[in-house]
Amino acid sequence: MDRREPIPRPADGASTPTPVPALPNRRAANGEGRSRLRGWLASPVALLPLGLVALVAAVLLWESRLANLGPSFWGLNYFFDPSGGAPSVFGVSLFLVDSAIVAGPALALASGLSLAIAISTVVYLPPAPSRLLTLLTNLLAGIPSVVYGIWGYVVLAPYFGTTAQPTLRGFLGWLPGFGGPLSAGGVGSLLAIFILTIMVIPITAAVMRESLRNVPNDLVEAGLALGATPWEVVRRVRLRAARRGLWGAVFLGLGRAIGESVAVAMVIGASIQIPPNLYTPSTTLASFIFYQLDSAFFYPNLLTALTEFALVLLAVALVVNLLGQRASGADATVIVTGGGRG
Amino acid sequence: MIRDRGAGPTALAADGAELAAVSPRLRHRLRLDGIVRWALLGAFAAVFFPLFDMIYWVSVRAVPKFTLATFTEYQVGNAGGLAAMIEGTFVLIGLATAFATSIGLIAGIYTAEYAPPAVARIGRLAGNVLAGIPAIVIGYFGYFLFALYTGWGYTTLGGALTLSVLMVPFVYRTADLAFSSVPASQREAALALGARRHQYLRRLAWPIALPTVLTGVFLAMAIGLGETAPLVYTAGWSNTPWTGLFSPTSFLTGAIWLFYEQPPTLGALLTLAFQAAFLLIVIVVALNLGLQWLADRYRRRLRGLGA
Amino acid sequence: MSDDGGRDVEAPPIISVRELTVRARDRVILERVTLDIPDRDVTGIIGPSGCGKTTLIRTMNRMAERSGGLAISGSVRYRGQEIYAPEVNPVLVRQKIGMVFQRPVVFPMSIFDNVAFGPRLNGLDGDELEAIVLRSLERAGLLGEVGSDLDRPALELSGGQQQRLCIARALAVEPRVLLLDEPTASLDPIAAQRVEALLFELRREYAVVLVTHNLQQAARVATRTAFLYQGRLIEYDETKRLFETPREKLTENYVTGRFG
Repeated sequence: MDRREPIPRPADGASTPTPVPALPNRRAANGEGRSRLRGWLASPVALLPLGLVALVAAVLLWESRLANLGPSFWGLNYFFDPSGGAPSVFGVSLFLVDSAIVAGPALALASGLSLAIAISTVVYLPPAPSRLLTLLTNLLAGIPSVVYGIWGYVVLAPYFGTTAQPTLRGFLGWLPGFGGPLSAGGVGSLLAIFILTIMVIPITAAVMRESLRNVPNDLVEAGLALGATPWEVVRRVRLRAARRGLWGAVFLGLGRAIGESVAVAMVIGASIQIPPNLYTPSTTLASFIFYQLDSAFFYPNLLTALTEFALVLLAVALVVNLLGQRASGADATVIVTGGGRG
Repeated sequence: MIRDRGAGPTALAADGAELAAVSPRLRHRLRLDGIVRWALLGAFAAVFFPLFDMIYWVSVRAVPKFTLATFTEYQVGNAGGLAAMIEGTFVLIGLATAFATSIGLIAGIYTAEYAPPAVARIGRLAGNVLAGIPAIVIGYFGYFLFALYTGWGYTTLGGALTLSVLMVPFVYRTADLAFSSVPASQREAALALGARRHQYLRRLAWPIALPTVLTGVFLAMAIGLGETAPLVYTAGWSNTPWTGLFSPTSFLTGAIWLFYEQPPTLGALLTLAFQAAFLLIVIVVALNLGLQWLADRYRRRLRGLGA
Repeated sequence: MSDDGGRDVEAPPIISVRELTVRARDRVILERVTLDIPDRDVTGIIGPSGCGKTTLIRTMNRMAERSGGLAISGSVRYRGQEIYAPEVNPVLVRQKIGMVFQRPVVFPMSIFDNVAFGPRLNGLDGDELEAIVLRSLERAGLLGEVGSDLDRPALELSGGQQQRLCIARALAVEPRVLLLDEPTASLDPIAAQRVEALLFELRREYAVVLVTHNLQQAARVATRTAFLYQGRLIEYDETKRLFETPREKLTENYVTGRFG
């Protein structure tokens, strides 16, 4: 039997793994008035996740009371004097810049490596090794961030201090950001970038893998039948067709990179400054509000400031997340499980 | 333009080598394909080096020092074991899984089965948004709501509730997916036979959806198990035996966070941190294998249904 | 089984298949198929669904090995040379032996880029590239219809136009053989007829192998027709003879519509 359906547009094929479109039909299947009513009555239950998101935002908004911290709030300076002697300055942009310095390179590295992983698994590896390596990648995703943190701090940091940093400076010292003083203990942005890269990879790789896998086989075969090599099919057909899903993966990784607090706090050296180079200790928005909260319990103005920082982080995460969902239309969270797919 | 294709025997002899005549351009393209293949596989392999390095070092630091006391004794000062953290982790994860599963499952079923399409869409979007909220933001939320507003202070219950907020979207989205994936034919057949919606759900959809739902629950557990930030300011810390829902508790990830900066010379704390890390890795591996097993099983089941 | 392949062909065949057997894990898809494909002619392959006809043409340009788990044995020669020889790269085989699929598979890019896909891989650009794109569109009878705007997205074309675009795209690689797997199955009758006419035209320059389950189509277009049944080549003969005086009972039953 011929299945006479329209040609799947590749973007759709790449991005809708869930059978969501089936839902309207299902409801139409018993379209009695009573069931409609029940549908609307059921809505609050279906919207529980929305309620939780709203509750989180509401509590943070309430706690920050949107206190006006002055124009310095969006500035690059941060100063807090527990004794209250000098006026405090809470500039969130300092931390946003620091977050970008760490998350940006980590995301770039992770995206590139994830793409390599995704292409290898989907195109080049036979099924059995492909499955095994996918399992290992998922394992990488499951390792708690504190474990990355302690490994980074105890095992990697000394190595970064004695070897990795000097070597990198030796080769790339002429580039801005790669020269200048090293960090003696090895903790700093570079180590944080390294750790974050590894933590982001499994997520981006999983979503990229699914996007590439969902490229219609028809397109791939058409490319091969024209005498293209596997790599040419990847570059000219697969990557094109999966573009949206791939961008979705990058945004999802960005969300993870920006939001990670504990592992970064353990390896970045916790120094409130815009670092002169990649080696020096620094901080990030998420890690700062994590390790600073216990100091804030007795200083209401600090607690308010940190809560507003948390709000900023929440806003950034929301924007990144929504952009990612929009880019891919993909159900990224579920894809990562590898489960539920036929 | 028609190419000259002599049909005579000479022409044929020349043609015989057609498939062997690899032009320089094609040779270049094939070589590029080979290089890219090995480069990509190399990058792939490079990613696993850190994983193995980490597992190696954590094992080296943790395994030789494991004794029975590690599991049975409570940490006091610079000595003792992980008993309190293990207890606390089990209680926290158990409670949080129970909360997250009940909320996520119900919301997921309603989204898949009852909600109007527009509402379902918003629900799914919100589920993904919730999964994308940084853990530390959830931590602040939990601190205000469960430690301050309730007046409980640091409690096991507060920690578990905070953790469950983080876990809900994973159960929710997989439950939704599981029930949405039940083949429409099955559902229509059941409803056509006069089955009520809840009968259809219980008798037909539930057995099909169960493995996927379990996948989501396992995943949520793995997520919850690895979190530190939401617990530090909600569950607090306590290295004594666990006394109840309204008392603070310790947990494995917390042990790492608290002890990772201790010099190795100073007693057993750093070792305890590594041992906690080792235990977490073991549990995560077990959960991952469980997940994989469920996913395979589910796939086979779906195939059996011809879906 | 018939071994009369190539009997009435004076010129050497462009593809000769000998004792081709394809096995999947649990069943035999093709069993000892032997036939010759003449150059510059249309060869039809007919048979009921699942008889192996698609697999047969997919072995002819080494697309079959993409479906994992198939064991292919026997010999397929292109102009006398074994295409499964270890030193032969499938990429080169597929350049010489093009393929068009059942559903029109256009890439989500412009009409021009679709047709230019193959030539670009071979390093063509500029005027040369444009010339070959225009020539291919012309040959596929599409230039008159779309000529004005080649930068339009190819997905905006109608189904029939898309399928002819796929043919143009395959021709742009300058193959000598064109394999078509039920190319009109997803088209409306008028569009299908245009594709058919095009294939008939193309036989002047190419060896065309047409897999179809539409017997009338085979009768109209193909000079010779092969009938496959359950993985075996039952009969291979001039189309007229195969349809009018089949030698095998199975063929007769099939072409008279007693099963299918």
